[in-house]
Amino acid sequence: MIEIRLHGRGGQGAVTANEILAEAAYYEGKYAQAIPMYGTERRGAPVTAFLRLDEVRVRERDLVHNPDIVVVLDPAIAQRPSILEGLKAGGLVIANYPHPPERFPLGGNFRVTTVDATAIALETLKRPITNTAILGAFSKVTGLVKVESIEKAILHRFPGTLGEMNVKAVRMAFERTPAPIQAVGGVKEKDEEGPLSGSGYGLIRSAAGWRTFRPVWNYEKCTGCRICWIFCPDNAIGWGEERPTVDYRKCKGCGICVNECPTKAVEFKREEI
Amino acid sequence: MSERITIKQIPLEELVITPGSACQGCGAALAARLAFKALGPNTIRHSIPACPDNVTRTPTSGGEFEAGGDHVTGTWRALKALGREDVQVVGFYGDGGVYDIGFQSISGAAIRNENVFIICKNNEAYMNTGGQVSGATPQLAMTTTTPVGPMSRGKPNSRKNTPMIFAMHGVPYVATASVAFPTDLIAKIQYGKGIKGFKFLDILSPCPTGWRFEPNKTIEVARLAVQTGFWPLYEIIDGRKFRLTYKPRELKPVAEYLKLQGRFRHLTEEEIKEIQRDITDYWERLLKLDEIGEILL
Ligand code: SF4
Ligand code: SF4
Ligand code: SF4
Repeated sequence: MIEIRLHGRGGQGAVTANEILAEAAYYEGKYAQAIPMYGTERRGAPVTAFLRLDEVRVRERDLVHNPDIVVVLDPAIAQRPSILEGLKAGGLVIANYPHPPERFPLGGNFRVTTVDATAIALETLKRPITNTAILGAFSKVTGLVKVESIEKAILHRFPGTLGEMNVKAVRMAFERTPAPIQAVGGVKEKDEEGPLSGSGYGLIRSAAGWRTFRPVWNYEKCTGCRICWIFCPDNAIGWGEERPTVDYRKCKGCGICVNECPTKAVEFKREEI
Repeated sequence: MSERITIKQIPLEELVITPGSACQGCGAALAARLAFKALGPNTIRHSIPACPDNVTRTPTSGGEFEAGGDHVTGTWRALKALGREDVQVVGFYGDGGVYDIGFQSISGAAIRNENVFIICKNNEAYMNTGGQVSGATPQLAMTTTTPVGPMSRGKPNSRKNTPMIFAMHGVPYVATASVAFPTDLIAKIQYGKGIKGFKFLDILSPCPTGWRFEPNKTIEVARLAVQTGFWPLYEIIDGRKFRLTYKPRELKPVAEYLKLQGRFRHLTEEEIKEIQRDITDYWERLLKLDEIGEILL
């Protein structure tokens, strides 16, 4: 039995990716079990899903604690040591990460491959929904499920143009994903941002990793009207000395400030990893 | 009646501790940030189950979904017994807790004219548990319990007019607000704060997740709701004196509002026309009330 854990953010479709993979495996005569972990709806917050694949009926019903493979849909989450929790020795990490596997920041006894799924999603879907692209990478490096089966499952789920665009994303990722290498990054034990799963009532430490895009201010264009400040839901924009200042630990990257600034003084730039 | 303020008059002091765990671009999180700016620190907040919005630096308690009105009543009466009548007691609830499940307890508090402020962060469905229909959901909106399919066009019946229902309790202050009009929202809370008795403010708080739009469009959507007459801004004093606080010469077509949201994606031109008819009709009636300055009931 192969056990897989998926990490993503609310809105990136980790749960859907999991189900598509299970369906694709089913087309190939395998047994599959997809387990979502639901909290309340939080777009942008870390989410986890689990998958089991086998040639015989799967009888376990627990969450996956010791995955053979970890799939990460988000580059900020890919940097967090918590994704390695319970990963079997010699296991595999498939990460949405903008740099080649040699530059993957985490190290240890596992193999890793990377693909810039966010760029692929932005190119094909025009939105940073990385769940289907990462499946192309999964098929390429694990060979557990054929890319044709993944495409069939996608088209079954999203008929029409939406399905076609997602298939394009899968193929692009399939082509661009390099073979996994032994992880060479540093060993980090502590996860600064706290646990990856579990419902998040109350305070969390930082929302920095929620962003795909980062708002950047051009003060030359700013008239000091306070509009960005008043509309920020997360109070990430402070008001000091007649101009707005941003606290990137609080900013979730919703883009309201970018959309509402009357002089276009706030610009959205892709978050650098 | 509330007085007009400018953006520069909005208090700089923040009462929210952020980041909270609400979604990116959450309208309800912004509603909390704005509302508590206006309420100030001398406030006790009461919550019932709802989406997490922003945690506030105020004493806060939580209770049962159906008993919001009772909890704030108890809190206010205890304060009164302690001689602390200067403290605002605020029930900051979602539309499920105000329009449906908690309605009887809040109606009771209104009838008794308890000195409490009920503020509804209205995202028009039970978003906390995945977007089920509520009494605040507009007609034909798609929710997870009113899906669109061969047998259904979304929610079959229209929204409950809860602000008017509370006004008809004859309470001192009822108003509607929108996160896209922060000065209007804050002015209304500041005004309500100065009144003794039952106050109700219904804040339309767009939910990118449940209404299905990109998180950067929250204000755009909220603004269009008001500019199209889908969510008129008004205030009512003693269930009688009436004033529209936003009165454009002409409303924008409601289609502009509907087309931004995935929950209305299925609507046909005919259905949009029907919604437009209802909106125009209601807006014209409100204009008449505004002209005479009174609800004639
Ligand atoms: S909205 Fe734009 S112009 Fe206004 S304060 Fe913010 S950055 Fe400056
Ligand atoms: S993108 Fe802008 S409005 Fe959104 S959280 Fe960041 S600073 Fe606030
Ligand atoms: S589901 Fe909607 S109301 Fe709830 S936290 Fe998310 S955006 Fe806010």
